[in-house]
Amino acid sequence: MTAGTQSERQALHFELNGNEVSALVDPFARLIDVLRDALGQTGTKEGCGEGECGACTVIVDGRTVNSCLYPALDAEGRKVITIEGLMAPGGGLSPVQRAFVEGGGIQCGFCTPGMILSATSLLERHPDPDDESIREALVGNLCRCTGYLQIFEAIRAAARPRHPAGERL
Amino acid sequence: MAAYRFIGQPAERPEAQDKATGKALYIHDLSRPGMLYGQIKFSEHAHARIARIDTSKAERLPGVRAVVTAQNTPEIRLGFLRDNLALKRDKVRQFRDEIAAVAAVDLETARAAVALIEVEYEPLPGVFSPDEALAEGAPLVHDLLPDGTPNATNRLGLEFHHRSGDVEAGRKASRFVAEGEYTTPLIQQSCLGTAGCLAEFDGNGDLTIWAKTQIPFLAQRDFTAALKAMGLKGKRARVIVPVLGGGFGTGLDTHCYEFISILLAWKTGRPVKIVYDRQEEFACLSPRQSARTKVAQGCDSKGRLTFRQIDVVMDNGAYTSWGATYPSIMLLPATSLYRVPNVRFDAQLVYTNNTYCQAMRGYGNPEVTWPIESNLDDLAREAGLDARELRLFNCNEPGERTPMGLKITTCGLRECLETASTRIGWDEKRGQGGKVARGVGLASLVHVGGGGKIYRSDGSGIILKADDYGTVHVSYGGVEMGQGLHTVLRQAVAEALGVLPEAVVVNQTDTATCPWDVGTHASRGAFMACNAAILAAGRLRAKLFPLASEVFASEVERNFKQREQRDPKYRRPELDLSALSRPENLELEGGRLFPKDAPDDPCLSIEFGRLLRAIHFRDAGTVFSAEAFFEPKTELPDWQKGYGNMSESYAYGTQAVEVEVDRETGQVKILRVVAVHDVGRVLNPVTLRGQALGALAQGIGYALYEEVKTERGRILNPGFTDYKIPTAGEFDFPVELVFVETNDPAGPFGAKGVGEPGLVPTAPAIGNAIFDAIGVRLKDLPMTPERVLAAILEHRSSCQTEDEQWHSR
Amino acid sequence: MRAERAYHRPASLAQALRLLAAEAEGARCIAGGTEVMLQLRQGRRPAPAALISLRSLPELRGIEIGEAIRIGAGVTVAELIEDERLGTLFPCLKEAARSLGSAQIRNAATVGGNLANASPCADLAPPLLVLDARVAIASAASVRELPLSDFFVAPGQTRLEAGEILTGILLKPPAPELRSGFLRQGRVRMDLALASLACALELRDGVCANVRLAAGSVGPIPLRLRATEELLEGRALQDERIERAARRAMTECAPISDVRTSKEYRGTLVRVFTTRLLRALRPPQ
Repeated sequence: MTAGTQSERQALHFELNGNEVSALVDPFARLIDVLRDALGQTGTKEGCGEGECGACTVIVDGRTVNSCLYPALDAEGRKVITIEGLMAPGGGLSPVQRAFVEGGGIQCGFCTPGMILSATSLLERHPDPDDESIREALVGNLCRCTGYLQIFEAIRAAARPRHPAGERL
Repeated sequence: MAAYRFIGQPAERPEAQDKATGKALYIHDLSRPGMLYGQIKFSEHAHARIARIDTSKAERLPGVRAVVTAQNTPEIRLGFLRDNLALKRDKVRQFRDEIAAVAAVDLETARAAVALIEVEYEPLPGVFSPDEALAEGAPLVHDLLPDGTPNATNRLGLEFHHRSGDVEAGRKASRFVAEGEYTTPLIQQSCLGTAGCLAEFDGNGDLTIWAKTQIPFLAQRDFTAALKAMGLKGKRARVIVPVLGGGFGTGLDTHCYEFISILLAWKTGRPVKIVYDRQEEFACLSPRQSARTKVAQGCDSKGRLTFRQIDVVMDNGAYTSWGATYPSIMLLPATSLYRVPNVRFDAQLVYTNNTYCQAMRGYGNPEVTWPIESNLDDLAREAGLDARELRLFNCNEPGERTPMGLKITTCGLRECLETASTRIGWDEKRGQGGKVARGVGLASLVHVGGGGKIYRSDGSGIILKADDYGTVHVSYGGVEMGQGLHTVLRQAVAEALGVLPEAVVVNQTDTATCPWDVGTHASRGAFMACNAAILAAGRLRAKLFPLASEVFASEVERNFKQREQRDPKYRRPELDLSALSRPENLELEGGRLFPKDAPDDPCLSIEFGRLLRAIHFRDAGTVFSAEAFFEPKTELPDWQKGYGNMSESYAYGTQAVEVEVDRETGQVKILRVVAVHDVGRVLNPVTLRGQALGALAQGIGYALYEEVKTERGRILNPGFTDYKIPTAGEFDFPVELVFVETNDPAGPFGAKGVGEPGLVPTAPAIGNAIFDAIGVRLKDLPMTPERVLAAILEHRSSCQTEDEQWHSR
Repeated sequence: MRAERAYHRPASLAQALRLLAAEAEGARCIAGGTEVMLQLRQGRRPAPAALISLRSLPELRGIEIGEAIRIGAGVTVAELIEDERLGTLFPCLKEAARSLGSAQIRNAATVGGNLANASPCADLAPPLLVLDARVAIASAASVRELPLSDFFVAPGQTRLEAGEILTGILLKPPAPELRSGFLRQGRVRMDLALASLACALELRDGVCANVRLAAGSVGPIPLRLRATEELLEGRALQDERIERAARRAMTECAPISDVRTSKEYRGTLVRVFTTRLLRALRPPQ
């Protein structure tokens, strides 16, 4: 929904992955529309448009949300992080990204951006989560390919990098 | 077993970093200059005549560039029975029938335009089950057959049969018999990435279409035929496959929306993209085929199986697609799961006004393994035999030829049964249900492991091109859809050729550049690609060594000179260079060329890229590529007889499950799963685990809660809100995966296909565990809490009735 | 030609109320967006001309614990869960909040939104009902309160009048003997409740007082099961009494059959949940 009549569009300014961005958006536009269409950041995926699958997960002011249900204009002045904004301090993959790549946490990859953001947010709040917390954190990120277990292992590996990859369930 | 350098290693996926950083481009992310957005108008009735279509308002909406219907476009027929049209004329036969479509400058305009298309219908009575459709006086879904002759029945002429031995005699010879009628529902493949395509004509009138497909070459064939129907005979169709957000069988069809986007691109002269949103994916894309199956099996007093009879009736929906051919694979468990001398298999299809169905992982195997393996437990109980012992007693063995004519080469079924049952704790836990409603159950599978010949060719081509940097570019016509095909293909090329996997790049699948491949289905991807790679790598090596031999001495000379410059004290070893450089004395391994007799001297080692440059940049130089077409030595079965060795090897497996049932709510909790699979050879343990675990998850959804619900043809749950697939929260139990390596001679490095087996036995394993826990047999999937509870109550009241009868004697 | 649409982001409650009064029928309030954006997309209600975002209104934020307890309507479900004081005071509320949706939904959805949306399945309604919650409502002209048990009218309909905004949820500090619990069942871990039940009671000398029982997804609105409460009031929780109460609870509901499950199964769940909750809340036998 980035059309709208010329006069309807409203200005939006927010911080995306550390950079100030702005766009003119339809009043009822969703954050996902602005990210993908107006700003060309296609890493965030639309899997259902109904807040069920989590493929559209982004982080707004430190919290994961479904960008398909988040009004774009509510992002005004806020800090938004998408998959394109994750990286290690010196560049390269973040620890969570690396753990997913190395640990079989990625298959078709469509759920991956949302999944990685949910995992990243989890580890920021709970650096050493138990299995139940990991499952709870990912309930809103559907995956049809992996059966989840290798994703759990990747998160455990990212959580305890000095230990060998976490034990299997 | 041979030790390999790369095969068996957890090599990283080449595309994983792109996927982890949001760089991977799926069909949803693609855009072309001047691109328009297509949207389709779907039918509002399950069965109706189309009296009038008025597109004038839609055409006038600013931003609309074309509106198409059957009236203003050439007819394009789809489906192997040619009973479907890309755009419907005269009649709609299901809710999702495509009546019209719009191309507009943006999605919102396209949607608004679709809403402005007015259609006048004359509703017709519909039929929504095979029984309804076969009742006397039932309205016909198709009045005419595709060849134009009048139709008389909703039953399809397409049938599948198999007879081996004498089932009647087998039944008579049985000491024990068990029978039952089982159903399986419509299931949605539920790829996270929905269906879509982008069609574009170039200045020459040739078509390029980026498609979410698993069959680029068969799709190319269909699109080329469509071009001809559009009056564009001689124009070419090129199919390019972007990164795929899942497949699971949805890409084995060519879909109406693809032909519609081609028509719109042609009409507007601009690229047109159509992408389904999740609701369209659920309501307008073909789901997994449903089935109703009667099963009867018998055994003698010792427990030897005497006969198996399978009768399948399938709701074909309004048109015919791959769902109708599930019986071709149903034949495998029917005839070849355990040893049964007398088998009778019949499958029939009936047109209805429900949605038609397409392929999904397993392709009929889960549909029929569900009744066979559930019923086998019942038979064991009738016979007073342990369910595992009955299976072991009738176990398939290597070297046998099954009633379907399958030649079983390697067979790990015995080991799978024993391992699965031991590790689930069969002896301690089986038959313990009582106060705590816990039980264990198991079920096995047989599936094709070496391709599946269902088309006149089951072949795969491959081209390897080595460039001046030592990079090996691979062109292969199958698709990567997350299963890890490109990953293991890199490993196979590296292993067979003698380079490092990092030096191997698999190109995008593109019919213009890749050799023909029938499609990525039937768990055939790695089996075919890697076998083709081994052939091609051998040819590349055969070309390479004679030429390497010619430049070896001069390159070694350079090495010596460089070494001497660096280290004046260096003394060259005493060598017979001309002997060392003979082709048969050279080896290529790990991306280096070196003499077999002196593998460790760095001065005698030449890096692959440098070697290729030396061969290229000289008089009469040359560059390298090699190709191969791998066609397995298999038979296209006679479907009327249900006979033919359709695969080069067969995959086996057993899953065992421990469950606990809440007797008051009917909820089934999975406590443990052990899955043991005969995979021939582990090519990559990480991608293999991913396939096995992902399939298991789909098997669990199939068993316990997935179901497309319909009412008079309308899909009631077109979304994840009410079509529930497993979430991360469901996996709170340990899963033990065991891979049995039987090292099949036909397989690349001994490997068998592994894509589908993982979801085949899950439902009956769970159903058998439920029976062990609470003594009730469920026959309809999914085994929801409501159904489990209803079965418990029915069982309790029938037990009570028996008690009463006993007491009133 | 449709009327021009607008998305308003008022900076204060007063400003929001003025906007709401000015736009009249054309405007809808939106807080977390998890329901309104969904309904917009699905076309379940006619699209409004204006959306008024309540997300940042300071007056709707915050959880005050003192002689009275006030949860701002704009407090997210995640913030409710993370408030340790609330979790200690009202375990059934925390359990219900934890069962709602997913992390992403809980990070956006608000307590006020869950109530104002008035779905029969609203997860926070049963626990708030058994805790005798009251809702605070403001309009441009006035403020008022009413018991939550009077707030729901029909599916999607509350007693909020045009121009009114739900501003807070008010609770009494619990009696020291208060015990509460919550049960629900979905088809998978993230799901609307097929049925849910909350129970709160004060236990003194083995006898229960101020029994409250509320069920969700089994009627047009979240229901207080008053007849069942009466059966239990002043009684000890013996097996027979619990069984009687469970059967009564089942008949007090008015579930429907829908695509999710049958009315019979919903009734069964209410009976089973009542039994299990009461057994969990009674003193160990």
